[in-house]
Amino acid sequence: MLATIPASVLSGITGHPVSVEVHVSVGLPTFTVVGLPDAACREARDRVRAALLSSGVKWPPGRITVNLAPSGIRKEGPGLDLAIAMGVLVADDQLPAEALADTAFLAELGLDGCLRAVPGVLPQVRCMEANAIVVAPESAAEAALASGPVVRAPSTLQELLSALRGEEAWPDPPVSGLANARDEAVDLADVRGQHMARLGLEVAAAGGHHLLMIGPPGAGKTMLARRLPGLLPPLDESTAIEATMVHSATGLDLPSSGLIRRAPWQAPHHSASMIALVGGGSRTLRPGAVSCAHGGVLFLDEMGEFAPQALDALRQPLEEGVIRVNRATAAASFPARFLLVGAMNPCPCGELGQPGMCRCTPLARLRYARRLSGPLLDRFDLRIHVGRPEVSDLFDAPPGESSAEVRKRVDRARAAARERGAASNSELPDDTLDHLAPLDPDAKSLFSHAIAEGRLTARGFQRVRRVALTLADLAGQEPPLTGGIVAEALFMRTEPVTVAHDPWSLPNARP
Amino acid sequence: MPARRFALARIPAEGAEELPVEAWLAALASLPAVGPARLRALLAIDTPAELWTRLQGPPLPELVEVAGKRDLYEQWHRTAIGLDVACLWTRHREHGVGVAALGTPGYPAVLCDDLEPPAVVFHQGDPQVAHGPRVAIVGTRRCTRYGSDVAFELGRDLAMAGVGVVSGLALGIDAAAHAGALDAKGAPPIAVVGNGMDKAYPERNRGLWRAVAERGLLLGEAPLGAPPERWRFPARNRIIAALADVVVVVESHASGGAMHTVAEAAARNRVVLAVPGPVRSSASDGCHELLADGCGPCRDADDVLLALGMSGAEAVPLDSRPDPDEFGQQVLEALGWQPADAEQIRVRSGLEMSQVAGAVEGLRAAGWVAVSGRWIERVGIPR
Repeated sequence: MLATIPASVLSGITGHPVSVEVHVSVGLPTFTVVGLPDAACREARDRVRAALLSSGVKWPPGRITVNLAPSGIRKEGPGLDLAIAMGVLVADDQLPAEALADTAFLAELGLDGCLRAVPGVLPQVRCMEANAIVVAPESAAEAALASGPVVRAPSTLQELLSALRGEEAWPDPPVSGLANARDEAVDLADVRGQHMARLGLEVAAAGGHHLLMIGPPGAGKTMLARRLPGLLPPLDESTAIEATMVHSATGLDLPSSGLIRRAPWQAPHHSASMIALVGGGSRTLRPGAVSCAHGGVLFLDEMGEFAPQALDALRQPLEEGVIRVNRATAAASFPARFLLVGAMNPCPCGELGQPGMCRCTPLARLRYARRLSGPLLDRFDLRIHVGRPEVSDLFDAPPGESSAEVRKRVDRARAAARERGAASNSELPDDTLDHLAPLDPDAKSLFSHAIAEGRLTARGFQRVRRVALTLADLAGQEPPLTGGIVAEALFMRTEPVTVAHDPWSLPNARP
Repeated sequence: MPARRFALARIPAEGAEELPVEAWLAALASLPAVGPARLRALLAIDTPAELWTRLQGPPLPELVEVAGKRDLYEQWHRTAIGLDVACLWTRHREHGVGVAALGTPGYPAVLCDDLEPPAVVFHQGDPQVAHGPRVAIVGTRRCTRYGSDVAFELGRDLAMAGVGVVSGLALGIDAAAHAGALDAKGAPPIAVVGNGMDKAYPERNRGLWRAVAERGLLLGEAPLGAPPERWRFPARNRIIAALADVVVVVESHASGGAMHTVAEAAARNRVVLAVPGPVRSSASDGCHELLADGCGPCRDADDVLLALGMSGAEAVPLDSRPDPDEFGQQVLEALGWQPADAEQIRVRSGLEMSQVAGAVEGLRAAGWVAVSGRWIERVGIPR
């Protein structure tokens, strides 16, 4: 008369084990679900009943009560459908309880009895302690990543029942591959000219430095940024699992192997709200774009058009690599270690021509410059200007280096960073820099000039130093950092918006 | 209530005889929308002190006619009742702002026989400064690096040759010219401003403003507290043109304040010179129009001195910048005197991008080039 089936629900990007308790007793025929189910979960009643009936199973006449324990947490989504169906059958003695011992269920049911995939299978499987787990065939590869329970993936309720009753063998898990093989079709070799931007991408990939590209519309900023994930090394084990959990919980496509190995790419539109960017929500806490870009690239096109509040919310994840979202009813923390790539115009008119052609007033430029707050701007180690490609580059020049060639140098630089004890140079702590990145006299004088000019803060100085270290790694130079390398790094940190060609305003004019 | 305010306002007016005529002029200039033309029209009716008393009373047809609009006259009436003239006068004295009425000894002689002499001028600094030869250096606020370099150079060399540099303390060319004149430590600069001298405008030129007030002369038609309203600037330009023996336009868009100054200078038979620029730069459009109309070109301070009838300037200081290294030399050659971006320099010089980047930064630190946004420009003057 009573059955208990292990299952789970998703909250944020973590799973919580849930026991589905089903009680069937004599009485007027009713079917109630208790234990804080949401709408989708309560509708399970109708789906389960229809699925069982169309699979040729008798619906128990009587009073059916389903309790989702623990009753205190909210249950969301249709992932408990299958577990409820199994509970009903066991409680009605249509299935022997022993056949289901230590087996968890995680799938949505169709009215015809088919099993459908639900988001967040990986984190949910990881939280359960069952010996076997039944999921929809589409989720099989993902569930197997948890490397815990045996994964069963029948495609219909009928297949599942006959396997449980021992009438037939479990169906083979679906063959992965082929169907989802979307390979990166974009390669750096397609880019003609744009040597400054190529250098910027290479340094960003090698050192993990955030990159801001400033250029007129049509210069190819998006096209260039799209090629950055192809330069990044594959994700390491733990990052890959974290990224897969986020993508799975958010319901994004996963690669056919189930595990995300290639650096992800997220490019939210500039109308994105702060919640969409960093995650959150009123009741269901969902990861935002920063978490979906975990281990990969977050590309913000037209950065000046984003809501300033949304942009400033990026500061904490940029600093800490995680985002903690707190609401009155729930709290969650999502991984968010990403490479930020921004693109913006040099001024409101786009500055199509040379100096003297811009139609913006000094005030308009000043306002445009203020769209990005100083603290956020300071986190871009690389700020480069991207112009339209030179005509001679478009027609006569040989194709540029391919992504594979650049990646070799990137890998070398990353290996050098690992020897220093960090995943990339941008993560080296400040206090190690004096020892790891000493400066030669030329480099010192360049730095002191830039600081005296007010172009560089103390933090900016350390950041440029890390970029210079990455440049040295790429060029295969040993420390100390030379003047040439430091000059290059300084040049790659220009001011994004020229406020005015007005160097005489205050400081120089003092008598 | 109105009766009481009236009574209060009368109390300082009792000592009206003790206040000089300049105090009453300052008060009249403080009335809303009173520029040079309205002030002249008002003064044709009565003496300043009498005018003030009349404004406090019932409306008089001739005064309403000067105001043009009834509600403007109402504003004058209210201001005349509410404003404490003695207090305004004290504030001018406290700020060290001198007030000179037309026809009094303190008034700048050069403005006396002008087409439209200001009825009253306010000044800060040494009024004697306005005596020697004077050249106005004017131009756009939206200038290029080239323009501000040339303006700085002209300002410096002319000041060194003993010529007072007159400009309007605006952003861009004006500021560069004043900065150059101050840099030379030669003849003191003269700035004609559009608003009251209690507040620097634009705010970013605060430092320059103070330096000019200390070492040169600030001049204007606006009393303390007058905001920088739009209509004040064309009037300001006419004083610049009136003060200058020669007007040099460094960079100007086809229509701009500088072109207005040129028109005022032409009306006063002043020599106008224009600095040629790149023909594709819209910031030089106005200059090129002037040149096409037959105005003389200004290439350096010598051209200006020639127009003034003076001999050549003193030697330009030596170039103290360190010689560029090998890559730097190649970059400078590839750059030329037109702005270019890093990509263009790479194509022209045949260097690697990383070499270009390093060389440009080195040149910038040494003062050979300036980087503004994407553009790299060669700098003419050592700093």
